[in-house]
Amino acid sequence: MTHPTDELAAYSIGALEEREAEIVAAHVRTCEECRAEVEAYQETAWRLAEAVAGEPPSRMRAAVVERARAARPVRGRTVLSGWAELFRRPIPAFVPAALVLALVVSLAAYAGSRRDADRFAAAVAGVASGRVVSLAPSAELAQARGVLVQPPNGAPYLILDIPAAPPGKTWEAWVIRGEQPIAAGLSDGSGVAILTLTIPLRSGDVVAITLERAGGTGLPTSNPVLTGKST
Amino acid sequence: MRSGPGSSTTPLHLVPDDERSDDERSIARIAAGDADALGELYDRYGRVVFGVVLRIVDSPEAAEEVAQDVFHAVWRRADTYRRERGSLKGWLLSISRNAAIDWRRTKGRHVATEETTDGAELIADMDVAESAVVNARAEGVRLAVAALPPETRQALALAYWMGLSQSEIAAKTGVPLGTVKSRIRSAMQRLRARLGDEEERW
Repeated sequence: MTHPTDELAAYSIGALEEREAEIVAAHVRTCEECRAEVEAYQETAWRLAEAVAGEPPSRMRAAVVERARAARPVRGRTVLSGWAELFRRPIPAFVPAALVLALVVSLAAYAGSRRDADRFAAAVAGVASGRVVSLAPSAELAQARGVLVQPPNGAPYLILDIPAAPPGKTWEAWVIRGEQPIAAGLSDGSGVAILTLTIPLRSGDVVAITLERAGGTGLPTSNPVLTGKST
Repeated sequence: MRSGPGSSTTPLHLVPDDERSDDERSIARIAAGDADALGELYDRYGRVVFGVVLRIVDSPEAAEEVAQDVFHAVWRRADTYRRERGSLKGWLLSISRNAAIDWRRTKGRHVATEETTDGAELIADMDVAESAVVNARAEGVRLAVAALPPETRQALALAYWMGLSQSEIAAKTGVPLGTVKSRIRSAMQRLRARLGDEEERW
């Protein structure tokens, strides 16, 4: 495999597009030579950081340690703490343009081969006129892709690229308002799928996808594989 | 191919203890739920994390909150850290920058700053912090950054402090993407060469 030498500096400071970064990350995992380059650039990035080091308030150390103790146990988290965690995870507030484009292109290609081509065409059109937010994948299902589209008129929907749900299971969409998850639609996944949300969104609502038993559930029982925040 | 801690196939917990760096030992203890180890990591890197976050969010109160969140994220995610994706410091720095940039985008009062600031300033006038004694090292960094051509420095600042991707920088500045890419690369290469040299003289 060719080495992504030219991309390593940008990769090291997080300046690559999401897709490019994934490709470089996959390479770096198995290539010691490139990893050494990345570490050298990371060291340079760290030197920049050191140059702005500052004295935090002295109470901070105890606060950090106390908060960690209170949050135990780290392992074997309950689903509930998984949900609490969801609210703390940084959610991208902007759309990596390349990701949206890639999804829309695959959506358009997919649409041609389907009976409900009209619906797909409408979904693609909505991307152009609506507000679009990318959904962040969790570490467990890093290959999952999704965007939330909020068209100017009509129901918000998700464009998803996730694996087919296993037998007896379904992907379920949630709108989380405050701390309350509200069931918002089902999809069996497999290839590119459109999932129209069954409830309207408010600004600041979090949208998430979890794997649930077929037919859906009233409350999420697994950690989200995709999350994003409506604007 | 050598084996040991650098090998991509060796899980961290299987690396013999005496071959691990302090950072690797710390993160393994943190992943095992040892809160004291988190305190020790804070002792080593708390000032850098706080400084980076403060530089980005531009408010001491917010910086305190965000820097605490950074260490809590380390606590919660320690078991997802993978040596083969890069150094612990690199990981910690990216968590810090992401958290601060995210805060700035969602809660920052100075949304306008992003539009009006010449990114170059943000990094060129890095304060040679208050205690000048400690800061020959910081001064070296400041000089190295100041020696970059202005447009190169600006591209670096937009990526590093604003968290923009190369395409976003191209869109924002109207500079072709290829040029942005070569500027970022050149900025990091020059700093790496210059700061690396200094390191050897130290």
